[in-house]
Amino acid sequence: MHVSEDDLILHFYGEAPADEQRIDEHLRSCPACQTAWMELTDTLKLVDAATPPEPGPGFERVMWARVQRELPSAPARQWSFRAMAPMTALAASLVAAVALGYAWIAHSQVAPAVVAPLHDAPTAIRTASTSVNPSKARERVLLTALGDHFAQTEVLLVELMNAPESGAGAEFEFERASADDLVASGRLYRETARQSGDLQLAQMLDDLESVLVEVARSPNKMTRKDFNSLRTRIDSNGLLFKVRAVTNQIHDRQQDLMTVSEGPL
Amino acid sequence: MHADDVAAVAKARDGDQDAFRGLVERHSRSIYRLAYRMTGRPEDAEDVVQDTFVRAYRQLGRFEARSNFATWLYRIGFNCAIDYMRARPKRESAETHDTLDQMTREHVNPSMDDLVYAGEIGERVQTALGGLSAQERAAFLMRHYHGCSIEEICQSLGLKTNAAKHSIFRAVKKMRVALKPLMGDKACT
Repeated sequence: MHVSEDDLILHFYGEAPADEQRIDEHLRSCPACQTAWMELTDTLKLVDAATPPEPGPGFERVMWARVQRELPSAPARQWSFRAMAPMTALAASLVAAVALGYAWIAHSQVAPAVVAPLHDAPTAIRTASTSVNPSKARERVLLTALGDHFAQTEVLLVELMNAPESGAGAEFEFERASADDLVASGRLYRETARQSGDLQLAQMLDDLESVLVEVARSPNKMTRKDFNSLRTRIDSNGLLFKVRAVTNQIHDRQQDLMTVSEGPL
Repeated sequence: MHADDVAAVAKARDGDQDAFRGLVERHSRSIYRLAYRMTGRPEDAEDVVQDTFVRAYRQLGRFEARSNFATWLYRIGFNCAIDYMRARPKRESAETHDTLDQMTREHVNPSMDDLVYAGEIGERVQTALGGLSAQERAAFLMRHYHGCSIEEICQSLGLKTNAAKHSIFRAVKKMRVALKPLMGDKACT
């Protein structure tokens, strides 16, 4: 009996140690398998011969300049949904409290111009510089909470997008619970965004909510069809890209706000 | 793990950006090579390198000190490349497939020496890689160029063992078909 192509590939990469001796002996006695083996090794040697082009001199310096622009002030303490599941409810409560406080500020128009749409950040920041410090402090708190909300959303979306197709049928208990929490806090933020006139952010939170609700309400074991449908929605709406873009905007606003507060008043 | 990496990671975790700069400068070329093989375009590869380091910085708290920083960074790099490719317009993938099909149909068979020196093998291998799905490409590159075990590939890409193996099987088979014109008399049947 001949050695299958799959077994030859595993043999080439040393991933079939238990069968190594058997395959070697067979290859010595079977011309057909020996030919197949030679063809495989020749192809993979050809792959080895290909080396990607090297970037030009100064690449490291240029890359650092690009990276540095995108860095937050300090690396986030990282978490995963599985590790942080017990903390999610507490975090959601805190986020909700901050959001409600923010909504109240915006609604009562104590410092209306502080709450400006994300796409109009420079205006917001210019206005913020003339505002009273407590309002700026509240905005910083809000931005931190909002940044965390989008960071959690990003991790959830990435986990779903990177799950294998065979992940359909796997259990998504933690992801479902996390999505449920994100729906709750996201609704508060969306309402706040609407009240403060940031319709772009509100619309985005709305788009996110429909996907998060789908995850939260999905059965514990999704069918392949449902799983693929969910990923298609995330992909086709460019949600991951939008989440990252907003995260960057929030970061920029935080940086700018810090600059304003540190500058002459 | 590189001794300098250990110290730099510890400092970077505390917000020392100069320490992180050292890590970027030390590892950016190797991540570029990975990213180029994944994306096939220099400008895309540069974007992926940037994404990789930004994501790595945000995830430094998740890095376990006993691990190898370069290996950890590779994993992030592969996932960034996959995300990047998924976000890339689908028409570009279609163009890549057309090119691959065209290349396979053409039975151009110059001498090996000519190909090596002209760098054509690299281009053809890169085009062949472009014919793989993002998952197949990542699994194949991790196994072939970075010597990652099936288990490591599973962990990095969130795959089950069989899915990882089949990604590699499909990748190798597609590479064999795509590179067949270069194999001359040894062409597989």
